[in-house]
This record gives sequence, structure tokens and C-alpha cells, in this order.
Amino acid sequence: MSAHAQTRLPTGLIGRIRGSDSWSVGDRIGLAAAWGAGILLCLIAAAIVLYMLVRGVQYLSLELLFSHPQPGLDQSKSGGFLDPLQGTLALTVIATLIAAPVGVGIAVWLTEYGRPAWLARAVESGVEIVAGTPSIVLAIFGLLVFQEGIFSFLSYEATPGVSFGRSFFIAGMIMSLIALPLVVGASREALHSVPRHVREASYALGKDRISTIRRVLLPASRRGIGTGVALGMGRIVGDTAIVVVLLGATLQNDPQGGIPGLGFLQGTGSTLTTYVYNNSPVGEGGSPEKAYAAAFVLLLIVIGLNFVIDMITRGRGPSWTR
Amino acid sequence: MAARGPQTAQQRDRTDQRAEFLLGALASAVLVLIAFMIAFVFAKAWPSFAHNGLDWFGAGGNVDEQLTGIFNSPADPSDYVYTLHAWPLIYGTALITGAAVLLGTLVSLLSAMFIVEFAPGWIRAILQPVVRLLAAVPSVIYGLIGIIVLVPFFGNHVIGPARKESVQYVIQLDGSSILVGTLVLTVMITPIMIAITVDALRSVPRNWTEGAAALGVNRFRALRTVGLRAARPAIVAAAILATARALGEAIMLSMVTGSVAFAPNPLDGVTFFFEPTRTLAAQIVEGAEGLSVKPFGQTMYAFAALLLISSAFLSFGGWLARRSMRKYTLAPR
Amino acid sequence: MTWNRPLAVVAAVAASAALAVPAAATAKPTITMSGSTSVAPLAALLAKKYISVCKGCVSFKLLQGGSDVGISDVASGRVTIGNASRDPKPSDPGGLVFNKIAHDAVCIVTNKSNPLPGIDEAGVQAIFGGSVRSWSSVPGSSASGTIDTFTRSPASGTQDAFQKIFLGSTKVFSGSSQKASNGLVQQSVKADPNGIGYVSLSFSDGLHTVPYKGVACTERNAKSGQYGGQRNLYMVTRGPAKGAARAWIKWITKRSAAAAIVNTEWVSLQ
Repeated sequence: MSAHAQTRLPTGLIGRIRGSDSWSVGDRIGLAAAWGAGILLCLIAAAIVLYMLVRGVQYLSLELLFSHPQPGLDQSKSGGFLDPLQGTLALTVIATLIAAPVGVGIAVWLTEYGRPAWLARAVESGVEIVAGTPSIVLAIFGLLVFQEGIFSFLSYEATPGVSFGRSFFIAGMIMSLIALPLVVGASREALHSVPRHVREASYALGKDRISTIRRVLLPASRRGIGTGVALGMGRIVGDTAIVVVLLGATLQNDPQGGIPGLGFLQGTGSTLTTYVYNNSPVGEGGSPEKAYAAAFVLLLIVIGLNFVIDMITRGRGPSWTR
Repeated sequence: MAARGPQTAQQRDRTDQRAEFLLGALASAVLVLIAFMIAFVFAKAWPSFAHNGLDWFGAGGNVDEQLTGIFNSPADPSDYVYTLHAWPLIYGTALITGAAVLLGTLVSLLSAMFIVEFAPGWIRAILQPVVRLLAAVPSVIYGLIGIIVLVPFFGNHVIGPARKESVQYVIQLDGSSILVGTLVLTVMITPIMIAITVDALRSVPRNWTEGAAALGVNRFRALRTVGLRAARPAIVAAAILATARALGEAIMLSMVTGSVAFAPNPLDGVTFFFEPTRTLAAQIVEGAEGLSVKPFGQTMYAFAALLLISSAFLSFGGWLARRSMRKYTLAPR
Repeated sequence: MTWNRPLAVVAAVAASAALAVPAAATAKPTITMSGSTSVAPLAALLAKKYISVCKGCVSFKLLQGGSDVGISDVASGRVTIGNASRDPKPSDPGGLVFNKIAHDAVCIVTNKSNPLPGIDEAGVQAIFGGSVRSWSSVPGSSASGTIDTFTRSPASGTQDAFQKIFLGSTKVFSGSSQKASNGLVQQSVKADPNGIGYVSLSFSDGLHTVPYKGVACTERNAKSGQYGGQRNLYMVTRGPAKGAARAWIKWITKRSAAAAIVNTEWVSLQ
């Protein structure tokens, strides 16, 4: 039995029962509307991608991907966007690696345990309140918290007792906050969709709760968790305010200190999104065509990262009813 | 987890307790951080509310003039200016967010049904990456496409000169409007709802929809009456996340809604859709340049505080809605 | 595996020394700057030139974040210099010194299809103040229909300069569309044949700049001081500038190499 047949109704059989035509006018309109909505989605996505491709194509060359951005008044002399590219990849990976486990952990706790009840409610509300906060507010808050001297190991110490307050670490941590509500929401729905009798069966076989979660529930809700992580990652990739305030939006990635990996994480940088923001008409407007080329590359990266997430969370899980 | 041997009940309890404690600690730590942020915003915002009282939420005067007055406050803290009547911003936010969520819910339900039931295999295979791609396009890009394509289209080709003249002493209709803002915002928030609704529809027990089909109901109706109803808690959860996203969207809306502190008037008829406005989040982003001027910064935080309160109400509303829907699913709680 | 204790101690000391070495090795001073996105391109170009002129005597770190972030950063000591594109306000944090480094001409712009031959103070106040709303009442305009005005938010330096120099005590029309940056005003006026707004000189590409009081808004007129509408760009320090920062700011305001760079799109003080 193929995967499709498990969710779709057996159309062959229904189609042949032609006693009375069961499609009313309202249903036909609904069907047409559903088709329309689906096609519309594809068209919009295609339009956005094509627009950026067309606008940026004259500057889109492989060389752009591998050269550093330079200060310059002229678009042709301002280099490529290697540093923002690295910044996007690094920041997205860091923030997603924080948001995914934390988000799934919170979702599991809310669904499976959730005691005391007032705490569970508070956590739920807290996460949803963060979802509604503009990212600039979170960025300013992050700057305030991480400028305290005790956090200077995350960036560096500017003057004694005052941490610089900006780095990949810090930006990654605050970025994970904006992805968190999406991961928690989608994971919770996925966990909820596993029926009660599955858990009961597992307990009846003698497994304790945590093993049930690890071995039965999480693998079954893999697809929903994947959705949440993909949505959260989308939010991370598309954010500008946190990068500008907490990463500095420097032209080139600026490692802090001598150790290669750690120094990079403690240093400042920029992402493709801020590169697009700065060079487009919204910011200083220096290199608009390159901004569009960068946006196109950004979309390709998003497709790639989504593909990776799909690989990791592949499988639609078992079906619970036969 | 190879042969651990059968656990005693006591061992099971202990590992369970430990796990519950650890997960609970994780959730509480995140909660503490979030609570800290909320306290920070409210502490900073308090002076603005205190000086204005309930008038803060009312209408009266021009918001931009009031903000300029606040920005140019004298140096002495006791002379700080705080006067503000923020109704146009509140109304604009409610209008655009509400419209986008309603439109988005409709489109996402239809799209989700399409993806789950009616789309041919190859379309379905492209649609999932497409939905995730749309959720990841930066808001700057949406804003750019809005101001480069949509706003001039409406301003130069749809809104006629006569309409512009009819309101010219109050506002200008240059194309950036609540209509464009709502359309682009809908495109931004719909992918979130589609992704979660599709997952929910797919996990509806098959024999429920098959039962409906066996009674002679057509595919669309079976999905609509049985599938959507079973997935209602998830749809509500998705709508909450989408509304929260819409509330927090700043950059795109500040570019595309004209950014005029004006409360659009529904009694204007068709012109209502072309009138500009400004949302709370867009105001914060535009005022971010002046945060270090104390009273101005506190006013911006007051806007943020209002957004946080709205999100809290939203969260509460969602909880109430989902609680009443639980009995229709097989879910544990 | 048993750890040889002395060996472990030596390894730990070596590792922490490796961590400490980078800190000690930077004998070259670093000037950190953050703040305004309008000053950032200028600061980047100046920094590049300064490094080649003084043969790498100092290293720069240039961040952005907006004038506000720059000011609050420098006030709390996080950065050496904060870039600001707005004038100091009475309620800014105390103890800051706003060092002026350049001027920036503010031009009134209209769409290329509407080349307004000139405008005077009364005209600007009438249009941007909202008393005149139709292009047919503006002498010399070839557009017809409602005037679409584009302005900036109250916290913007350009808006501040515009208000002080052009508008005086007239209040901005309440229905005008506020844009968050120069680039957005440029884009809006480009797309709208009935548009009028004000931008920094470097953003006037593709638009028609309107001569104010008979003086065209060009680099040369701004430099000679004939064109009156200019705003200030600042580098803010906590107290008077000291050490490497002082030498840097002095180079910008006194040396001709710096002036040449500033005069490309901005107006040098020299």
C-alpha cells in the first residue's frame, strides 16, 4: 500500500457510486477554490523567485559567492558577499541548534507532563508572547542583558566590567527565541496527534514515560517537528533587526581573538539578509542589483537547508488506525 | 537501549521523575528569561502610561506631532514631555492584523485541503518546499516587492485622481495603503498556517474520513466536515502563531502601509481600502533611531508593552478555544 | 585511560596561555565604531584610507545599528566612537561630545516627469505643511493632481535638519507618508509622478533636484555654503576624544586626503 493511499479516500470506489450526484454546487465551488489557492501559492512563490533572479542576474556570478565585500561607492567595486553568506549559514545553524532541542523539550514537557498546571499555562503563554514581540524589541533586550560583564566570555570585554554585547553566540541565542514559538507550536500539535491509546499500549508493555517519549512518540511526530524546525529556521533566516543590533552588521566577518572557531563565534559579522537590507533601496542603496542577487542566493540556501531538515525527519510515521 | 532487564516500578518512577524535573527545569528557565524580558519592557514603558493614563489609548491630536514633541523634550527629567494619544496606531494594527489573519485562514484552509487531498502527486511534491520557502523569505524582500511593484500599481493605475482629490486635505492616497499591507502580510503568514494545518489534516484517523465516504459524502465535504473539524485545535494553534507573527511584523509594514498615523475610516466606502495607516511594530522600528532620548525611548517601549499585552490576550483566547475543542480528538489532553 | 596529572596541568596551562596570547598580542589599538547606517559607508571609506595612510597603525571595527545604538554604546563604554547622523538632543545621555565630521546636503526632490524649476521657503512650507495640496497651484510644475509628500520619522537626523532649515515653525502635513530611510523616499518619489520629498544629496539619482531659493542642490554649491540646507554627521565620543580616536578624528577634519573622500558624496568641513 503506497503512502498516498493511506491518507486519501479511495476515489475509484466513490467515483463509481453514481446513484445520486453527491457534489453540490457549494462543494464544487469549494473544490475550485482549493485548486485556486494551491495554484496561487505556486504562482506567488515563482513570481518572487523570478523577480529576484531577473533583477539580480546581471551581477550574479560565481565570483560574487567567493569574494569579500569591500567598502566602495560603486557597485562594481564593492566585492561579493562571501562574508554575509558565511554569516547566514553560521547564524542559522547556531540558532536552529539551540531552538530545536529546547523547543521540542518544552513541547514534550507541555504535552506529556505539564505539572503544575499554572506553570504549564505560564510557559505556554510566555512562548506565545515572545511570538508576538517585534524582533527589534528582543534585540534591544538582548543587548541590555548581554552587556553585563559576566557575559563577556560570549563576545569580549570592551572596557572593564562592560561586555561588548555583540557576537554570533549572542545573536544566535536571541535568534533562537524567535524560532522557539514555531517549534513549540508545531511539535505540540504533532505530539497531540498521536492518539492516547498508543501511549497506553506502551505503558501496558512496561515502558516508563521517558522511554515512551523517546522511542514511540518522538519518532512518530518526526514530521511535525520537522515542520516546526523548518518554519523556525525560515523566521531566523529572514530576520534583520536582531542581526543589525546584535551582530553588528559589519561588512566583513570579524573574528575576535586568536582561536579560529571560537574567535569567529565571539566576533561580529553580517548575514545575507542584512546585506540585502543595506544594499537595497531600504538601506543605503549602494548596490541594489547585488542585493537582489544575494536574495536569490539566500532563497537557494533556504531550499537547501529545508532539504536537509526533510532528510533528517523523513518518514511519515506509522498509522495508528487500520 | 539494549538489555536493561525489566525495571522495577520504583526504578521507572525515578527515571520518570528525573526526566520530568529536567524538562520542567528547561521550560522554567526559558520562562524566566521571557518573564525577564516582559518585566524589562514594562519597567521601561511605565512612565509613558503613567503620564497619560487612559488617554494613551484614546484619539486626539496628531501622533507625529506628539512624537516630535516627546523627542525634543528638554533636558530636565521633570520637564519631559509624554503626551500621546495612540489610537490611530492601535486601530491600524488591529485592522491590518485582523484582516490578514481572516484572509490567511481562509486561504490556508483551502490550500491545506488541496495539498492533502486533491493535488496530483507532482504538484504536491513541489508545494511542500514552496510553502516552506515562502515562510523563509525575509520581510525586507516582501517589503521591496511591495513598494516596487504593488504600491506604484495601485497608486498610479488603480486609484484615480478624483479619489485622491476627494481626501487630499486629510491624507494622500499614493498607493501605500492598508490593502497592500494586508495582501503582503497575508502572503507572509499563510505558509505558517498551511504547514501546521497540513500536518494536522494528515494525522486525522483514516477511518473517520472513510466512514464519511462510506455514507456517500463526496471527498471535499468529507474533508471539510470531518477532517477540518478534527483538526480544529491545530488550526487554532496555527492561527495564533500566525496572528502573533502578524503583530510583530515591522519592517515590511512600515514600508508598504504608507506609515501615516491615521485611522482609516470605513465609512469612506471603497476609499477605505486605499487609506494609509501605521502599525505599532512599524512605529517602533521607525523610532528605533531615537531610543537613547529617554522619554522617546519610553514611549517606544510603551508600544512594545501594548503588543506584549495583545499577545497575552491572544494566547489566553487560544487556550480557551482549544480547551473546548479537545473532546473531538483522540488527543491526550 | 589514565591521565598523567602533571601532563594534564601543563596542557591546561598551555591552553589558557593560548587563549590569553591573542589578547596580549594586539598591541595595535582598535577603534570600534557603531551607530548610524548613514555614516557607516563614509566611515568605512575613511577607515580604509586611514589605514593605508598611517601604514596600519590602528585597526577598525565598524558596526551599525542606528544612531541610537551608537549613542548608547558610546555612553556605556562599549565602543570608542558612536556614529550619529542626528543633532544632539537635550535628553541624550550626559557626558557625550558630538564631534562634527562632515555635512550632508539635503535636497528637495521631485519625480523626473515633474522638473520643478525652483522653490522658495514659502513654497516649501506651503507644500510640506499641507496648505497647498494640488500641483496645479504650484508655479512651474508640469504635473497635475494631488501632491504626494514623503517625509521622515521624527527621530531621523534628515528630518531634524529639514524641519529646522526649511520648515522653521511650520508643522509637517499630518497626512504625509513617513518613510524610514533616504532610500525609501528616493524609491517612493521615483515611482510616483506626483511625488515630492527630501533626501540626502547622494540619494538623488534618478530624481529631479529642485533648486532652493535659486541655488541648485549640487556638491559644489553645498561646499561653498551657498546651498543652505545641510545636516551634520557626527562621531560621538564619551568626553573629548583621546588617543587613537583623537588622531583619527583630527585626520578626518584636517587632512586633504580625508576631505577628498568626504567630498565624493558628502560635504567636507574643510
